[in-house]
Amino acid sequence: MVEKNAVHVLVGTRKGAYILDGDRARKKWKVRGPYHEGRDVFQIIADPRHPGVVYSTANSAWWGPMMYRSKDWGKKWTAISVPQMPKGPRPPPTGEGGMPKYPVENVWQIAPGREDEPNSLLAGIDPASLWRSDNNGEDWVGVPGLNDHPTRKEWNPGAGGLCLHTILRDPSQPKRLYVGISAAGGFRSDDDGEHWRPVNHGVKIGFLPDGDREYGQCLHKLALEPTDPSTIYRQDHDGIYISRDRGDNWKRVGKSLESDFGFVVATAPGAPHGAFFVPLRGETRTTWGGQLQVFRWNDTRRSWAQVVPKGLFPGDHGTHRDALATDRLTPAGVYLGTTAGRLYWSASNGKKWDMVPYQFPAIQSVTVSSPMG
Amino acid sequence: MPKVRLDGMLSEFVRRRTVESEATSVDGLIDELEGDFPRLRHRLRDETRTLRPFVRVYVNGQDIATLRGAQTPLAAGDSVEILHSIQGG
Repeated sequence: MVEKNAVHVLVGTRKGAYILDGDRARKKWKVRGPYHEGRDVFQIIADPRHPGVVYSTANSAWWGPMMYRSKDWGKKWTAISVPQMPKGPRPPPTGEGGMPKYPVENVWQIAPGREDEPNSLLAGIDPASLWRSDNNGEDWVGVPGLNDHPTRKEWNPGAGGLCLHTILRDPSQPKRLYVGISAAGGFRSDDDGEHWRPVNHGVKIGFLPDGDREYGQCLHKLALEPTDPSTIYRQDHDGIYISRDRGDNWKRVGKSLESDFGFVVATAPGAPHGAFFVPLRGETRTTWGGQLQVFRWNDTRRSWAQVVPKGLFPGDHGTHRDALATDRLTPAGVYLGTTAGRLYWSASNGKKWDMVPYQFPAIQSVTVSSPMG
Repeated sequence: MPKVRLDGMLSEFVRRRTVESEATSVDGLIDELEGDFPRLRHRLRDETRTLRPFVRVYVNGQDIATLRGAQTPLAAGDSVEILHSIQGG
């Protein structure tokens, strides 16, 4: 296959990582893996600045978190450094100095840096903090404007820990960054990470007393509108929201659904003016109606549509927050991994769907590398 | 000189199954192992030097949790086993 036409779907699972190789027709896939066998791969992502370079975050209850880089689409992997929490007085009872106060629990996210900084990366970890590397992950430094934010003392862990799980860069303003933290909410920097402020005005917090709170939301995932990145789609613990002013204000748009709880949201340049969501019943964390359901918010009509044909994939489906992805082709490809280890995809803006005939372990994350257009 | 047996789970990080050490405590032994086998760093202990939850260290057959933990002293002729109680689904 000619690489310029190649589409790679990178799948992180509870038991390792997989890479699916296909082409722009997106009709069939060759499944490779598992890589990092037995590890809980929270993310595996290609670096669009360096074709063939792939990063992964492989966590383990036995060995702790590890990170890897491949230069050949996952065939060989080299361990890179993991961010280390700042050193300080050791917790009681020993009172020794010079040790980090907390260990790194998990590495959640790794994001390639700016185009004009080809060796830069960002990483989001638990305990919730953002880290930057300028040498492809050999060394990491914390981003103090966020990690020492004055609101930090009131950040609380969600069920997945106190984690920074989302990193987005505004393609129209490369110094504008967004991060998502559970449960602290969304934060924005307009100066490449120097200064940060919470961007959650209007987002409800069902687990705290009433009131419009500036931070403390349990944000699950964010996605930027491809045609206008000042519009942001947000799947929060307490509903589906849209902001049209770079996160300054949010309006809930999911209330007409049976439930607007969920974990995932994704946008695609091939399917502009809207976003894909997989809303779930809050109590069970599964789709309702006994079938796979992917909803698309049409932001032109300001309306919802269920895009998976009714009854096509019966059952009760769950998703983790990084398990919905899109490609950059037209029509858009949409890829959804489930907690039951099934990978569904559409190559038609979500109109037709199919299932990869491979039983994966529980899927944590899906990312896609594809040509544009 | 304590003799140390490393379980097969560690083969990703250490190619050897047995080593001899001059360390005088379990903590010192792990320092020494991390120095000799850098890939082992942060795999037995996290960054706070706390043993990871599924690591079990036995000195002469006794779990160091019932002795002095990582400060358990080592002497010539001691046998040390570093095992993993892999569990979970």
